[in-house]
Amino acid sequence: MTDKKDNRPSEYHVASLVAYCILAQVDEVKAAITAVEGAEIHAVSDEGKIVLTVEGTGFKNLDKKIDIIRVHTGIINLSPVYHQVLDEEQEKKLAESDKADALSYQIK
Amino acid sequence: MKNFNLAVIASLLVLAVSPIMYSLNANAADKETVNSVATLRDATPIDVQKEPNRIPKVVNKDIKQGRNYPMQPPVIPHTTRSYEVNKYNNKCMSCHSRHRTEKSQAPMVSVTHYMNRDGNFLAEISPRRYFCNQCHVTQLDAEPLVENTFTDMHSLMKQKTANAKEH
Amino acid sequence: MTINRREFIKANAIAAAAAVAGVSVPAIASNLITSSDITKLKWDKAPCRFCGTGCSVNVGVMDGKVVATHGDIKSPVNKGLNCVKGYFLSKIMYGKDRLTTPLLRMTNGKYDKEGEFAPVSWDQAFDVMAEKAKETLKKDGPTAVGMFGSGQWTVQEGYAAVKLMKAGFRSNNIDPNARHCMASAVGGFMRTFGIDEPMGCYDDLEAADAFVLWGSNMAEMHPILWTRLTDRRLSSPHVKVAVLSTFEHRSFDLADNGMIFTPQTDLAILNYIAHYIISTGRVNKDFVSKHTNFRLGETDIGYGLRPEHPLEQAAKNNGKTAGSSTPIDFEEYAKFVSTYTVEYTSKLSGVPEHKLEALAELYADPKIKVTSFWTMGFNQHTRGVWANNLVYNIHLLTGKISTPGNSPFSLTGQPSACGTAREVGTFSHRLPADMVVANPKHRAIAEKIWDLPEGTIPPKPGYHAVLQNRMLKDGKLNFYWVQCNNNMQAAANINEEAYPGYRNPKNFIVVSDPYPTVTAQAADLILPTAMWVEKEGVYGNAERRTQSWYQMVEAPTGAKSDLWQLVEFSKRFAIEDVWPEELIAKKPEVRGKTLYDVLYKDSSVGKFSLDEVPEDRLNDDARDFGFYIQKGLFEEYATFGRGHAHDLAPYDRYHKERGLRWPVVNGKETKWRFKEGSDPYVKAGSGWDFYGHKDGRARIFALPYEPPAESPDEEYDLWLSTGRVLEHWHSGSMTQRVPELYKAMPDALVYMHPDDAKSRNMRRGDLVKLISRRGEVQTRVETRGRNKPPIGLVYMPWFDASRLVNKVTLDATDPLSKQTDFKKCAIKIVKV
Repeated sequence: MTDKKDNRPSEYHVASLVAYCILAQVDEVKAAITAVEGAEIHAVSDEGKIVLTVEGTGFKNLDKKIDIIRVHTGIINLSPVYHQVLDEEQEKKLAESDKADALSYQIK
Repeated sequence: MKNFNLAVIASLLVLAVSPIMYSLNANAADKETVNSVATLRDATPIDVQKEPNRIPKVVNKDIKQGRNYPMQPPVIPHTTRSYEVNKYNNKCMSCHSRHRTEKSQAPMVSVTHYMNRDGNFLAEISPRRYFCNQCHVTQLDAEPLVENTFTDMHSLMKQKTANAKEH
Repeated sequence: MTINRREFIKANAIAAAAAVAGVSVPAIASNLITSSDITKLKWDKAPCRFCGTGCSVNVGVMDGKVVATHGDIKSPVNKGLNCVKGYFLSKIMYGKDRLTTPLLRMTNGKYDKEGEFAPVSWDQAFDVMAEKAKETLKKDGPTAVGMFGSGQWTVQEGYAAVKLMKAGFRSNNIDPNARHCMASAVGGFMRTFGIDEPMGCYDDLEAADAFVLWGSNMAEMHPILWTRLTDRRLSSPHVKVAVLSTFEHRSFDLADNGMIFTPQTDLAILNYIAHYIISTGRVNKDFVSKHTNFRLGETDIGYGLRPEHPLEQAAKNNGKTAGSSTPIDFEEYAKFVSTYTVEYTSKLSGVPEHKLEALAELYADPKIKVTSFWTMGFNQHTRGVWANNLVYNIHLLTGKISTPGNSPFSLTGQPSACGTAREVGTFSHRLPADMVVANPKHRAIAEKIWDLPEGTIPPKPGYHAVLQNRMLKDGKLNFYWVQCNNNMQAAANINEEAYPGYRNPKNFIVVSDPYPTVTAQAADLILPTAMWVEKEGVYGNAERRTQSWYQMVEAPTGAKSDLWQLVEFSKRFAIEDVWPEELIAKKPEVRGKTLYDVLYKDSSVGKFSLDEVPEDRLNDDARDFGFYIQKGLFEEYATFGRGHAHDLAPYDRYHKERGLRWPVVNGKETKWRFKEGSDPYVKAGSGWDFYGHKDGRARIFALPYEPPAESPDEEYDLWLSTGRVLEHWHSGSMTQRVPELYKAMPDALVYMHPDDAKSRNMRRGDLVKLISRRGEVQTRVETRGRNKPPIGLVYMPWFDASRLVNKVTLDATDPLSKQTDFKKCAIKIVKV
């Protein structure tokens, strides 16, 4: 697998994760997450759980970013929850064929 | 009744291939199915049997179907006939594993599938997720007997936003 | 406004993670929609509505509707996973044909058994029902009223129903559909251990070195337990999986030793294993001498058919003594099983000798921790209790029991088969906490807890499930209420028994269901019912885990929970309507009260005020009755088991936990029962203590192979086995209404061996008729599906309301457990 191929520009990856942090270090962890390109924090709980997303252009690209966050010493555990890939080239094509399909069924 | 059924069937088929159109079809209410009896038997008396329909074909268009909510496992948009998934082989992973998607152009299994029971990452797909067919199913070209009025959260939010704008 | 696709899927991702973390995100997709009111999504936990595994799910609610569900990452059962059915739970309540008004058969505005269904109000419905019930009670007494309930009832519903039937109407004719599902397991537990339900727990899945599946297709029927078993097998190469069945199915995909045996010969295989353990000198003598004793069971016990059936006429011991046994010693037992040599067993069962030996060695080798799983293959068996007894034998002979990984484990089909049907005791012979109506001491305990006069509960066991249908047909059971199940589709031989029974002009049949099922179609009155998270409740799963949930959404207007229906109906009966004067005289203060007052409101059920219902929670039932009825029912019920090895935690705690495994003693759950150190009820210094029996010993039973009730012959030349599929549960009444599940498995086909099809000149897809001595059903031939039967056997699932395979099946039952054998009868197949 080559990086060039992996980072197909038409692909959009988003993963959501939950980071369990050492309470005293929540602020440090938050700063570290925000420093990663494409990472975003959506909620922080009182017990030190952070809900975040990481966006990227390929699996490897995403993996790299997640790894930067994972190794932070303030994080006890980082659980990936959800991951979806959007192939925008493909989507466009699909949207066209969807319309065609919908039409043909309506006629039927 | 007959005409009406066809309309429902048509709307459901559209729905199946096009989640975007969901909200448009949600209003195609079947008033007659409300408080009627034996809907799954097409109102056939119990001591009689309607001739069973033919075995439908597996939908094999390779067109991704929308999900109703984020955690819903995607349905399989292609036939899996004679796919071996046993303790020696997992045919599904020959296209959907992260190393194969480049060649196959198939969607890669989600990263969650690399987590073990305790939520830690593994190098390979987690054995607990090994049998794909426990969550992912193919779809047969069959017309649902009863419409389902489930509405997903984004359609609900969209509706409300639209309403809010009107007022 | 168009939603940007990227933002849309990102919002999905955030929602998912927030749910897992249990963190509320102020505004999901805040850059799209700013008003938090619009994006308000509330997450809460509930046990899954389907099988006995008891997965926990997170349910997302928006605007009073369930909009999403997913596996609960905090649940030790499923750790975030669901099977395909579980993932589609969100949709089960939203079938377009939800019932929203009572429907009564009427002609010209009046009830008429032959009339057409027409909408009536709840008041009218209860009027007619109460009139019919009172008429029946007056004319033929309590034995003419009956109820068929469910392992899908909540614990509280089952308990309210038992109280209404056994104390209110003074009828023991209440049985759950769990009779079709778990009765043989109960019989096995009671006979071997003297106390019901598994000693082990799901933690055995991560500890065992070998798994043996006896008539259990876990891959389809208990998928989440299968993920744990698969995880264990694939992560630890030394682990072995043996699968036994009468046909090949998906669980064989993981099998190291897959075995197809001739129906009924599992009894011989079990005895062979005992013989192998003994003859190779691997009996755990210390364990056996300290903790077991041996019994010789009664044989030739019949097949639970109608008494005039030739098989019953021929049987010698099908009367009251069928379950009796006499003490024997180890030598006598060893001699008894020595008949079952590998040669004999292999010939009888069709399983090659080397496979039998490999299987037996898993049990015999003292170094291998072995867990046996079984479900309907054992339980739906005319010798189901025996099969259960025999598998305990081999675990007891080797002492492989009650320790992590060593576990004979009976799985359940319904979400609360254990919690409601078994623990609450909604059976015709039972009371809560393993007590029985036939025992005067047990009746006295129940009457004391219920604060009712001595003699309220009738001593004679009522009609069990199969007998109920027969009594309906014979006109002996005339007022009949079916809740939370679909027995016209699920019971065997509906053609000759259930259908004529329901339509017998002497009978009035009420069916409560969210949807118009086949059973509802056969009813006289249909009551629209609230389901799952439309009400508050408690379920108990197969590992003794009790789980609760809050009401999260309103039921459709007009639909009411089973609990509301039971309790509201009780208001229609003055105590004088149902009790004889001499009983009332023993407790005169009940005079002038209703059953509602006596059984619920003024009993300990009524003692928790509405203040205890969290203000921000829905609870239509409690607010309607004016007290926290679910808590009251639960706490009163729990008094039966506390201090008697069935201890439950205080009700409120279950709302905070992902379930707890009973007995819960000093706030701690119990993982392995009967073992010192893990079970607080075990006497110190005993090691193991099978305290269900007074002598603290488990019984090892000498029981033989006996042939099935019906076997293929020249005319009816095929075995028929019925069963479930992955995608559909509970007769498909919910799952067939979810488009994705319907489209995954729309119709029940008959799975055949290609050679069987060929020899009958049939091909895949051909329209055929399955014909038995009792009826026929049409379907289409499948020769290459997920089930691969051997030559001579076919399989057809029963989830399909339009193809009722139970028109064909035989209502032979285990004479001990009264559970039907749905796995074997003789049929022929012809082309249409």
